[in-house]
Amino acid sequence: MNHVAPTPEPLAPGPELERARWIAFRYVIAATVILGAAGILGVIMRDSQAGVDRVPDGWFYAIMTAHGLGAFVGWAAFAVMGFAFWVLAQVGFPLTRTAARLADAAWWLMVLGVAGVVVTCLGFKFGASWVFLYPLSFHGAGQWGRWTSFFFSGSVLLAGLSIVVWCLSILTVVLGPALHAVKRSIPNRVGVAIGLGYLAPRRFATNPRPVPYPVIPLTVIALDMIVATLPLAVLLVEMMVQSLTPSVHVDPLLAKNVLWWFGHPVVYLLLFPAVAMLYQLVPKYAGRPLVAGNVISIGWALAVVVNVIIWAHHIYIDYPSGSPQAAINTAMQPLTFSITIVSALSLYSLFFTIYRSRYRWDAAGAAMFLALVAWLLAGLSGVVNATIAFDQVVHNTLWVVGHFHQMALLMIGFVIFAGVYAWLPDLIGKPLYSDAMGRVHVWLTFVLGTANSALWLWQGLHGAPRRFAVLPHQYDNITQAGVPLAIGLGLTQILFAVNIVQTLRGKGVGRVADPKRSRRVVLVALAGGLALAGGSFGWAAGTEATKAWAGSAASAPAGANPALAAGRSIFTSAGCSGCHTLAAAGAHGTVGPNLDQKKPNLALVIARVTNGGKVMPPFKSSLSATQIQEVAAFVVASEGNG
Amino acid sequence: MGRIALIIAVSYGTVSVLAIVFLVWVGVSTRGNQPEPDLRKIGEREKTWFAVVVVLLAVLLFSTILFTPYGRSAGKHAQIEKIKAIQFAWIVPGTPLKTGTPVEFQLTSADVNHGFAVYNAGGKLLFEVQVMPGKTQKYVYTFKKPGTYTILCIEFCGVGHAHMQGSLTVSA
Repeated sequence: MNHVAPTPEPLAPGPELERARWIAFRYVIAATVILGAAGILGVIMRDSQAGVDRVPDGWFYAIMTAHGLGAFVGWAAFAVMGFAFWVLAQVGFPLTRTAARLADAAWWLMVLGVAGVVVTCLGFKFGASWVFLYPLSFHGAGQWGRWTSFFFSGSVLLAGLSIVVWCLSILTVVLGPALHAVKRSIPNRVGVAIGLGYLAPRRFATNPRPVPYPVIPLTVIALDMIVATLPLAVLLVEMMVQSLTPSVHVDPLLAKNVLWWFGHPVVYLLLFPAVAMLYQLVPKYAGRPLVAGNVISIGWALAVVVNVIIWAHHIYIDYPSGSPQAAINTAMQPLTFSITIVSALSLYSLFFTIYRSRYRWDAAGAAMFLALVAWLLAGLSGVVNATIAFDQVVHNTLWVVGHFHQMALLMIGFVIFAGVYAWLPDLIGKPLYSDAMGRVHVWLTFVLGTANSALWLWQGLHGAPRRFAVLPHQYDNITQAGVPLAIGLGLTQILFAVNIVQTLRGKGVGRVADPKRSRRVVLVALAGGLALAGGSFGWAAGTEATKAWAGSAASAPAGANPALAAGRSIFTSAGCSGCHTLAAAGAHGTVGPNLDQKKPNLALVIARVTNGGKVMPPFKSSLSATQIQEVAAFVVASEGNG
Repeated sequence: MGRIALIIAVSYGTVSVLAIVFLVWVGVSTRGNQPEPDLRKIGEREKTWFAVVVVLLAVLLFSTILFTPYGRSAGKHAQIEKIKAIQFAWIVPGTPLKTGTPVEFQLTSADVNHGFAVYNAGGKLLFEVQVMPGKTQKYVYTFKKPGTYTILCIEFCGVGHAHMQGSLTVSA
């Protein structure tokens, strides 16, 4: 395991290079358009939570669903999937006609899938947040119906099929003749492509050169995503059927396991191709080969198996009685820990490739370095999630949101930015419009994004739940501190968009700007970003948080009439506020009728509370007849009195 | 912030600061014309780093794995509290709960997944556990102080999710 791979030669000009160029370009442009849309949705959510521009709860969750799938799959995954073809071309792996057809089909499936998600969420208010919360898709509480659920599942299915087809395309390329494997059998070639030749050079022999490092993570993820996605595809078909035929259903615990069987590896659909890009670009920028690339192959041999058997760390706090889930979950902690070794080895190799090199700090170089920083910080917050004893207090809090924005936006996103700045000129044969603008973009985005994630991590440690349209008031000040950061983050992306558009228009002049002057511009931008972040933090720290649960049953004035006070307390504790608006009870629910406007009479309230309505559940088993009388009396007495 | 959250905050904060110091060191090392380091030696040291990572992970594993919430027993004298979750309410029977004696929560859901998260009057998250339709999820907790505790739903359950609150009253 001592031989070091020589730098592989890129493809010679020709139809195969042109194909890779065109495919990568299409993926990246489509993904970047989706980033724009998903980013705007993200800013809307942050502002809404902070009360700057409140959107109704139902719209908040629909936007959340579109933002999550759009940003994660439609932008991050889609972009690195496209760059993967360009990476392969750079290390001499030709995009054959078959592989190009598959890549083309995967592109269309993804575009259609994301379009379906956008239409079902933003057009038809589907708001069940991905599909991981089975059976939530079928319980829209009146917000969305069965056909919407059907088309949403179908759209996700298209995105899933896109991933599978992409995997086939990648496998076609990496297992082809450019691998230079000596043996012909497929299992042996697969072994070569995942880097086993660095561990057992005779058994997985290659001639004349060993497999280039960037090929390894691409092969690993292409194999794993097929294994991970096929069960999901079956479940999505079931969900389409169940949308229309409610009698068909599966066990929710089984469904959850199947969904996370996919849900974990899909994170690595973002990470592993991004790592392949880093393996390719960082050595180029440092002007030396990847340090100890042969050692990282240990990590990849581990990753190809472990990646698909650590799903249940996403469901550590699900362990219903009589199920084996607690035992499964416990086994997941050491397994999940073992996959951090891949990151630990890769980070070591990449950082020491940069160490004391003549590293190029242009926009792409800076973006890559910052991606490595984010990878380390996100990896560490991920170790917290992977530890059951820790996860039990941060699960489903904003800590998780902070963690995955560190990973998806600041790590993967920054590798994508690096890919655009370094390779877009090669893809279209025109120089980059402005490297200085690119550097301002990446440094500013990093500062604001890291500060934004830090707020979420902090709120999560204080128990702030994720996926709340309106957070409890005790979190208000920090939520509001996030607003300037989110807006700043959004505005900074305009620099990225302008740079891309001007580059496409051929406005770049291809000369390097005065390094001193552009360095000053970057430093000013950086200082501005730090000042904004510091100001937001300072403001949050200086504002006293509202005392807990203001407006909840325990602290609100009960009113003069004791009988009505009892009714009010039932109204707030039985969950009526969840769906109805009634100013006298401090309730702002939007699922059911607004009681201040509808002003139902006593008999109707009693009937609805007792037996339920179209969407409303019956309360006769949970509330006594007296309690129902009391709550109804309170509602009728308070209607419109807010 | 709870005790476990504090441990996370301190350890994550410390390790992150150390990581950032290392990163700045790597970044600064590219400035000026420093002589090329011995890359072969650095490559060899990656094996030592590999061993260090394995040891650190093993330490973290063995120091935390006994603190999972699984398999807790409330004993014979437990107070049983059966709570049912529906979109978007907690149906709490209102059994009088006492401090000092373990409470065994038996949680069920009528419709979708919910998350049972209990906060004290100061807004501190005490514990959380998922509630799945068709299953019974148990959680054992002993309240130390009397008072009113707030239940929030911490698993997204639909449009009324953020308003799905309940309360528990615990007396001495």
